[in-house]
Amino acid sequence: MKGRFRSPTPPLIAGLAVTLAAMAGFSWYTLGQIAGLRKLQTTTIDRNRRDSLQLLRIENDLNALALAMRDMVNGDEPYPLQAWRGQFERQKRDLDDALALERKLAPEGPNADRQQYFAQSLNQFWVSVEQVFALAAAGEGERARGLIRTSLEPQEAAITATAARLLVQNNEAEERAAARVQDIYARVERDIYLFLAAVLVAVFLTSLYLISSNRTLFARLEALSSQRSALSRKLITMQEEVLRSISRELHDEFGQILTAMGAMLARAERKEAAAPFREDLHEIRLVAQGALEKVRGLSLALHPSILDEGGLEQAIDWYVPIFEKQTGIRVRYEKSGTSPEIPENVAIHVYRMLQEALNNVAKHSGVAAAEVRVQFRPESLRLEVEDHGLGMGQKKAADARRGIGLVAMRERAELLRGTLVFERPAEGGTRVRLSVPIGETE
Amino acid sequence: MTRRDLLLAGPWAGLGWAGVTGGESPGFRLTDVTAQAGIHFEHDNGAYGAKYLPETLGPGCAFLDYDNDGWQDILLVNGDGWPGHRTGRSTLKLYRNNRDGTFTDVTRRAGLDVEMYGLGVAAGDFNNDGFPDLFITCVGQSRLFQNTGKGTFTDITKHSGLMGHEGFSTSALWFDYNRDGLLDLFVCNYVKWSPAEDVFCTLDGKHKSYCTPEAFRGSTCWLFRNKGDGTFEDVTAASGIFDTSSKSLGVAMFDYDNDGWPDLFVANDTQANKLYRNLRNGRFEDVALEAGVAFSEDGKARAGMGVDVADYDNSGLAGLVVTNFDNEMLGLYRRGRGASFVDQAPGSNVGRVSRRSLGFGCFFFDADLDGRLDLLVVNGHIDDTVRNVNRETRYDQPPHLFWNRGAAGFRDVAAEVGAGFASPKVGRGAAFGDYDNDGDLDVLITTNHGPAYLYRNDNTAGNRSLRLRLRGTQSNRDAIGAVVKVYSGGTASSRTVKSGSSYLSQSELPVTFGLGRGQGVERVTVAWPSGRGEEYKRLAAGRYEIVEGKGIQKA
Repeated sequence: MKGRFRSPTPPLIAGLAVTLAAMAGFSWYTLGQIAGLRKLQTTTIDRNRRDSLQLLRIENDLNALALAMRDMVNGDEPYPLQAWRGQFERQKRDLDDALALERKLAPEGPNADRQQYFAQSLNQFWVSVEQVFALAAAGEGERARGLIRTSLEPQEAAITATAARLLVQNNEAEERAAARVQDIYARVERDIYLFLAAVLVAVFLTSLYLISSNRTLFARLEALSSQRSALSRKLITMQEEVLRSISRELHDEFGQILTAMGAMLARAERKEAAAPFREDLHEIRLVAQGALEKVRGLSLALHPSILDEGGLEQAIDWYVPIFEKQTGIRVRYEKSGTSPEIPENVAIHVYRMLQEALNNVAKHSGVAAAEVRVQFRPESLRLEVEDHGLGMGQKKAADARRGIGLVAMRERAELLRGTLVFERPAEGGTRVRLSVPIGETE
Repeated sequence: MTRRDLLLAGPWAGLGWAGVTGGESPGFRLTDVTAQAGIHFEHDNGAYGAKYLPETLGPGCAFLDYDNDGWQDILLVNGDGWPGHRTGRSTLKLYRNNRDGTFTDVTRRAGLDVEMYGLGVAAGDFNNDGFPDLFITCVGQSRLFQNTGKGTFTDITKHSGLMGHEGFSTSALWFDYNRDGLLDLFVCNYVKWSPAEDVFCTLDGKHKSYCTPEAFRGSTCWLFRNKGDGTFEDVTAASGIFDTSSKSLGVAMFDYDNDGWPDLFVANDTQANKLYRNLRNGRFEDVALEAGVAFSEDGKARAGMGVDVADYDNSGLAGLVVTNFDNEMLGLYRRGRGASFVDQAPGSNVGRVSRRSLGFGCFFFDADLDGRLDLLVVNGHIDDTVRNVNRETRYDQPPHLFWNRGAAGFRDVAAEVGAGFASPKVGRGAAFGDYDNDGDLDVLITTNHGPAYLYRNDNTAGNRSLRLRLRGTQSNRDAIGAVVKVYSGGTASSRTVKSGSSYLSQSELPVTFGLGRGQGVERVTVAWPSGRGEEYKRLAAGRYEIVEGKGIQKA
């Protein structure tokens, strides 16, 4: 069988392994993409954002300085120019702090030169600021204001422009990073679709394979079942033929011999006058008579000749009282309808099933009464054997033994294309119901 | 009565002292008593459609005892109509406490029915005559009113030397920065603005809307030194305070470096906050950057509005709260390592709850008298059409009342302490004071172009308090700058007598310590601004007056 039918398990295991490997590979790939995305966001986008914040802070400081210089030039405040020194020092501290942070956050590369220029410009600016306050301290307010107009303000404008350019570069870098992020998203999305498609194809192929395997499996099972049934039927039929042959041999051969022996012994008994010898002959004749009866009984047990001679109805009529006598179980026997002509090959199986059902009552039900109902119809026969005893499934060990008999009953029912049902009546016990079509058997 | 008389014995033996109540109920209710107290005030912001920036900012309020009778009176600042658009007469309001839970409007009688576009108030006894004087910050010329001690005030702006200092003045405070026993005056200015310099700003591209401060140049704060003869000297430049980039809205005084000299924190709108460290020589140095309070945690200058300072975690170190714009959350700074602060709000319930609010007035106060300072924040947007551009933002917003649960952090219980308290308001000023002298702290809130609200605190937990009113002799008479520490049950808490804080407003000067169910405290120390230190032991719950160098007595 192994050679003819291949198990689907190894291919299925192989498929599962391939699927798991594909999922693991895809997960690894996706995690790699996410890690790359995270790295891109933290190293580029977040850093750019924080850098831009510092550049904005620098721009704000420069703007505050520009406004302060305008106030100084315009003389809007009722305070001497020296009063602004503190504000300039504060702005310088804040600018220094912002620049230090910006340097840490700024991306490497082309910005480095610009930052150097930025730092140099600022240094120059603070030198000029000191000159302005030195002039103011020396009481040369107008010269100080002139220096603001001619030197400080242009310097501040140039530094602000540099900061603005750095901000623009940051924005461009951010846009590039955003485009890369979009690209990663698009790639991952495409790969997810591809993976899903591959999974769907794999699922489809596996399903096809499973359907095909199942069909083959069930066809094989059906064939095996048919073979087994045919074998069973053949065995049962053969058994019945053997039993009938033995029964006939017993009845016809041994019965005739014993009958002849009895007749001869009776004749000899009558001829022989001597009393002792006649008594012996009489005794031998009685033994032969007993043997003849036993042979006839065995013959009937193996195959009731009444079945062949009188049909199923008479065989049942004959068997039920014998069962009562043998087992002491009272049988309420009901019969309805007129028995049609039932083929011999049907009758023997029905008779055997009745025998088996009643034997089961005697062996397993534990009751002293049973019911047998036979219903004859023109196209079918219905037989019911019912007891209200323990019922099936109550005695597990007994059921195991009864199992073989029940299997044989089912085989016989199948042989007759009939139905055999085991039921549990409302009162408890077991009801065996057999329904057999007549004239349709093999 | 001397402090020795207060060394209580006998009846106190075996009784519990200051304790802390437990449970999840806040243990107090804030009941709206505005109408029954006789407060009928409506803020006039002068709005007529021009959408001038000052219209969005006012008004402030104050608890002060102007007649020195031991009962807190109420002052509510008012705006005015713009020139050519005045529809009626608008003045600030002074309500005298009738000592029965009601107030009487004495504005006219007190000589304060003066028209001006007022924004904030600072009350302090600058001439040490025992009666608090008033400085009203205005758009244009701010005013100094001297208390005559006879229930009236005299406008001495011109005589004091403050005339001519015109600006867009917001919060102000009195403090003795040079420790000469005389209160000096610090004034915040917002931006350079006048109706003539107004610019067109718009949210929808068609209609004018209120501008943000970025549209205007900053304006320096002012520091005026009290010369002791009723006049003031402008020491803005000499002290190093001068800074034309500032756009200041809130100011609080505290001793940042614990050297006994008052320092200042100034909240700036869209500009770096300032922390002016007193250099003890008449000059200040801005250390906000080094202290970590200039910017938000990510280095952004936020829209600072109101501010308060207090030892809210009883650690012995002052913490800071700064209210900001919506989507910025408030800043709750706790002293970190060394001299720097760490903003606790971003990782806490306070930040999460306040993120959507635009905060203005704020103060720490022990609302439930459990010994831990709670935090009140009033909110409200600046633009009445904000909903048109942002469906999720309201113009009127509910206040936050962060109940301090110690190690469990702050929980907003505004909706749990009274039916109307959490109703949305266009909140601006906020102050606290015990107007009914029942030992707990009542709340006064002003709203922009709306009414003022007086909430009576009804302590339901049965907690007690120790209230101390300080009177300086060598120090300034209001004892502003004095630090009072209370020790009990192994814990210490402190309060500073202060002017300013919150937003455009001033709370009462007496200090209040919640004792929980405790009967009293083991020890009280006072560090006077003059440098003198005093100590009192075993004080029972109740009200007391401490006079510098002369002892303590029941009030």
